[in-house]
Amino acid sequence: MTHGKEKTLGSLAFPEAVKRRLGGETITLCYQCGTCASSCPVAKITDRFNPREVIRLSLLGERNEVVSGDAIWLCCSCYNCQERCPQKVEIADVIYALRNIAFREGYIPNIYSEFAGALSSDGRIVKVSRFVENKRPTLGLPALQPTGVDALRKILSATGFDKLQQRREGA
Amino acid sequence: MSEVKVGVFLADSGKQLSKILDFDALTNHVKNISGVAFVARGSEFWRGEGLKTLIEAVKGGKMNRVVVAEALPKLSEVKIAQAVENAGLNPYLMEFIDLKDHCAWPHRETPREATEKAKAMLLAATERAKLLEPLEKLEFPALKSALIIGGGIAGMQAAVDLADLGFEVNLVEKAPFLGGLAARAGRFFPTDDCAICIESPASDLKTITHTSRKCVYRSGFTEISNLNILTNSTVVAVEGVPGNYKVTIEKKPKYVNELKCVRCDLCTTVCPVEVPDEHNAKLNTRKAIYMNIPNVHPPVYVIDENVCKFHDCAKCVEVCPTAAIELDQKLERITLNVGSITVATGFQEFDSSIIKEYHYDDYPDVITNLELARMIDGFGPTAGVIIRPSNRKPAKKIVMIQCVGSRDRRWKEYCSSICCMISLKHASLIKSEYPETDITICYIDIRTTGREHEYYYERAREMGIKFVKGRPTEISRDPDTGKLIVDVEDALLKRFLELEADLVVLAPAMVPTEGTKELAEVLGLELDEDGFFKEYNAKLRPTETKLRGIYLCGGATFPKDAPTTSLHAHSAAIKAAKFLTSGKIVKDQRTAIINEEYCGDCEFCPVTCPYGAITLEPTTEGHFVAKISDLLCEGCGICVGACPLNAIELRHSRPNQMLAQMKGLMSITGTSKPLVLAICCSECGHTAVDSSGMAMMQYPANVRVMKVPCTGILQVNQFLEAFKAGAQGVMIVGCKSDGCHYEVGSQKAEKKVELARTLLKEYGIEPERLEMFNMIFIEGDKFAEAAQMMTERVEKLGSLQIMGS
Repeated sequence: MTHGKEKTLGSLAFPEAVKRRLGGETITLCYQCGTCASSCPVAKITDRFNPREVIRLSLLGERNEVVSGDAIWLCCSCYNCQERCPQKVEIADVIYALRNIAFREGYIPNIYSEFAGALSSDGRIVKVSRFVENKRPTLGLPALQPTGVDALRKILSATGFDKLQQRREGA
Repeated sequence: MSEVKVGVFLADSGKQLSKILDFDALTNHVKNISGVAFVARGSEFWRGEGLKTLIEAVKGGKMNRVVVAEALPKLSEVKIAQAVENAGLNPYLMEFIDLKDHCAWPHRETPREATEKAKAMLLAATERAKLLEPLEKLEFPALKSALIIGGGIAGMQAAVDLADLGFEVNLVEKAPFLGGLAARAGRFFPTDDCAICIESPASDLKTITHTSRKCVYRSGFTEISNLNILTNSTVVAVEGVPGNYKVTIEKKPKYVNELKCVRCDLCTTVCPVEVPDEHNAKLNTRKAIYMNIPNVHPPVYVIDENVCKFHDCAKCVEVCPTAAIELDQKLERITLNVGSITVATGFQEFDSSIIKEYHYDDYPDVITNLELARMIDGFGPTAGVIIRPSNRKPAKKIVMIQCVGSRDRRWKEYCSSICCMISLKHASLIKSEYPETDITICYIDIRTTGREHEYYYERAREMGIKFVKGRPTEISRDPDTGKLIVDVEDALLKRFLELEADLVVLAPAMVPTEGTKELAEVLGLELDEDGFFKEYNAKLRPTETKLRGIYLCGGATFPKDAPTTSLHAHSAAIKAAKFLTSGKIVKDQRTAIINEEYCGDCEFCPVTCPYGAITLEPTTEGHFVAKISDLLCEGCGICVGACPLNAIELRHSRPNQMLAQMKGLMSITGTSKPLVLAICCSECGHTAVDSSGMAMMQYPANVRVMKVPCTGILQVNQFLEAFKAGAQGVMIVGCKSDGCHYEVGSQKAEKKVELARTLLKEYGIEPERLEMFNMIFIEGDKFAEAAQMMTERVEKLGSLQIMGS
């Protein structure tokens, strides 16, 4: 939050835009009771993320603060908040919707960007090292199967993900 | 019936209307309508000289039908109809139109066209009047006795009111003792006095003072001679009609003779069976023979038949000095005949154990507000001491959690409205008795909206009660100390708290009493989406149901505090009294009538009727015909619209009467614009036309207004008739879908309009020539806009061509 006296609140176009996105539909039901925050394992260890605050900032139209900040990327998607929210706000899904908006605008932490890159090249978000692969038979695990990366690339292309990713890498 | 002679009365409102409408032309026009025997013109006809003229004319026998064109007919028609009836003419042989708000005012800019429209209106009214038939007033006997279901403060208050007014009152309570939830709540806000006092009956000479307000046990309540109290009893069946209900009641045995018991307490002393006491939140035990608290009513012991060993033990029988204990008592079935029924079944706490993270069912130190109330009560299981149930030691640190199940879309979406005040009351009572107690209230929003309620909040802060804005996510228990930990975010400080507590008090949602659904079925009443009994209309007809003769009060409709419950009970009592007081129900015959020959036994009408007025009854030939109860029929005509065989008609809106009116309105054009017929319901639709006129909103005079009781009466063929009669466009104007005065009429009409539009297409007529509009009375602007829009739309479509014409 910026300091000093703000003359107006942000534009309500932002919560409306969030509402129209998949996962964001329930955002306006929030009445700021804080059940999500007190359920959140991330908020317990860092003050950089508080789901209630993310929702409040979004509802007040503080678009830049939400989209360019790192808070939305700290959610660990445990869905505790969503399970317990008395207003059935799909909080974790709202955060996905916010991430989608942020990604579209070129805001994405490097680590996520690397995941995205790995996904389109190998079909997995984590690169599996030769060391790990060799270890599998000794634990009685079957060898890793090749991923359907071609099909995946088609999806990524159809959704425009690959272009956004390229733009992001080019930037 | 002798020859039809119509008298027409034209009011010009102090010559204001004749500035716009050509009254000479109108008078001449009316004189030339066949059947018109008399025409009078004046300033107004509903009072003073005008009314005298009208009455004289009727008395003189010059006419047997009356058409009055009067400003504000909805006001004036009552007076005129009464006067006409006194003058000896059946008042249902009259027709009223409004030349001011329906014609002169909205068309003041086009006076010539307005005059032509007025002619059409007069013609339509006259043609309809000619077809009207006299209707009788119907009388149905009503018993001057009432049943009240539920003996909490609502039921008791309503019972006292009705008994004071002289009715025979039967009060039925499910539990063995009176008092309901109030008897357990201890004290009430905003007065902090005992919950269980009511106004004393006026029939008791000793208490009939201005200050009479006593607890039930000394109020003389049970001694009111015309009040029959049945405790331990439930209503199992209701038959009959408003004014005459036959009610079957099952009275469970108490196994103690009320007339013999002297309350000596010997029986409880010897009783060997000890069980947890539900009344006291299981914080103590009671015997199989027991009384809730010493000052209960009726003051007689009762045997809990689920745990008593009866003849295997019978120690109480041996010890009872008056032989009051009768172990062989049987369940009694009692039949009562009553004129009205009032439901006062109240509410109860939501089952908090559903919310697993609060551990209500596995941590004994997590309790509810009602359980805390028992501890605060001096007659309670701890005699006023606040303890931790797990070790029965005093609780020094208390955390209260608001909105447990309330305002929660997973359980109860509504705000239970009284829990903030209950918690504030409890916190303050504890704090004033034990100032060292540490109390924190976790809330989402504090709601203290009633008189003197905010003061409770203020006093609580002053007393040092802490408030945390935040809804706890979880309650956990320290395995070593047994202390509870409440995990909550202080949302104002964005800080996480783990509040330690000896005792956590939940403020559960308030939900309908167990058995509400079953009782609703017995009575034929509807429940709302939250499971409470549905009031007919929260604003205009509170405490009423859509069934005449059945009323609601107190928490049965929604959680309420004591003052509101009391008011609600007075309201329900006065409604029941109004209904019963004359010993008869007078209704007019503007009801539906069935032609049994045409009835095809299809079950559409009994299912559609919102008032349960239609039943299917077997004939001697082995099939069924619909029978309509004049008593229950409200005259909406929804059954008429539903009948596929045209077997039902409304006596005051028969198809030929409607058709004559329609043709009249469409037979005089007088305008360059295409004719549009607006069929309006008599409630919001027609009054929206009034209000557009009152506000002098302008719309073109080609729009002609026809009134029907409810748009639900309309049949698809009537839309087609309208086009055939000359309409280029048809508007159906009804109440809002969810605000129909007859519940479902607007929805039915919408469906029929949809169907008719498909048919119109088949006939080669543009479906957009027919449109449904929903509005409320004050939306006159919406009517004017709609009229303008339809006119423009129809103009664009061009002249209507009907095949074959």
